[in-house]
Amino acid sequence: MKTLADLKKIREKAQEDMKLRGGNVRIKISVGMGTSGIAMGAREVMKTFLEEIAARNLSDVLVTQTGEKGLSSMEPVVDLIEEGKPKVTYGNMNPDKVKKVVVEHIVNGRIVSDYVVATGD
Amino acid sequence: MQDISLHLLDIIENSVRAEARNIKVRVINNVQKNRLRIIVEDDGVGMDSHTLEKAQDPFYTSKLQREKKVGLGIPLFKQNAEMVGGTFKMASEPGFGTVLTVDFTLDHIDRMPLGNLKDTLLNVIIGHSDVDYCVHLIYRDKAKEQCFYLDTKAIREELGDIPLTYPDVIEYIDQSLFEGIQNTNMEDV
Ligand SMILES: Nc1ncnc2c1ncn2[C@@H]1O[C@H](COP(=O)(O)OP(=O)(O)O)[C@@H](O)[C@H]1O
Ligand SMILES: [Mg+2]
Repeated sequence: MKTLADLKKIREKAQEDMKLRGGNVRIKISVGMGTSGIAMGAREVMKTFLEEIAARNLSDVLVTQTGEKGLSSMEPVVDLIEEGKPKVTYGNMNPDKVKKVVVEHIVNGRIVSDYVVATGD
Repeated sequence: MQDISLHLLDIIENSVRAEARNIKVRVINNVQKNRLRIIVEDDGVGMDSHTLEKAQDPFYTSKLQREKKVGLGIPLFKQNAEMVGGTFKMASEPGFGTVLTVDFTLDHIDRMPLGNLKDTLLNVIIGHSDVDYCVHLIYRDKAKEQCFYLDTKAIREELGDIPLTYPDVIEYIDQSLFEGIQNTNMEDV
């Protein structure tokens, strides 16, 4: 059983880690979680991001969710926001595409242009 | 929407959009009463009686940019409950918050399944990590009652300045929810 005591160990490890890299958020991922996004599979998209990021221990990547993004014909929609770079919006996402975006874009810094539906601010 | 947990996700998104800081989610699997009950309580901006009524009407949304479109989340959930003999109740107080209570008859043959409760809860806890959640799962039958509690405030207290979104914390919450769902027999409802 998981107990609150387990969090103590996590906290110690995380504090060491934060000391090393300063706790910055390098990339923010925002998954559209409006009604149509949910109906089109946005929950699995978000879950896959969480799994892939945890598996790679990418503690400088933040996964969040927001409401409708007004791109309902391209749901599930995901924004990747990186400091000092234009926002990249990926559309028609699914768990396999998420895995590719994590490896290509988030780890290796190469935008997966096939999945991009919009860029800018 | 194919299952109850997806509706739950949609409903919690409404609470977040209503600027809730605290969201309480209860799922009660009451075999004795043959009832599956979902309660979502938030401390968001709430609704006046007019909006409350309109929110349950399939041709209404308050989102300005979508004025001419329809807000379907609530009407769909209501319909999916009532179609199979369930009930859907929403109460709200402007400035205080909103409570939604949805009941399903457990053994109704056409009831939608509960679905992946774990992923819904993990998504909202991590995806809106500035909101605090109190999750309470309860299983009841003649012989026993089993409970599971998860309170993000208590987790935050243990973590100090480490955020809920730290990878190991995400795994911890995922695993806690997994165990809680198993212990309250909700993995296959
Ligand atoms: N928890 C809540 N607190 C305050 N207002 C809410 C809440 N849930 C729903 N509403 C109101 O009801 C409206 C309809 O909700 P919904 O059916 O989910 O459609 P949508 O979210 O697409 O507008 C919302 O736009 C909002 O004004
Ligand atoms: Mg909604």
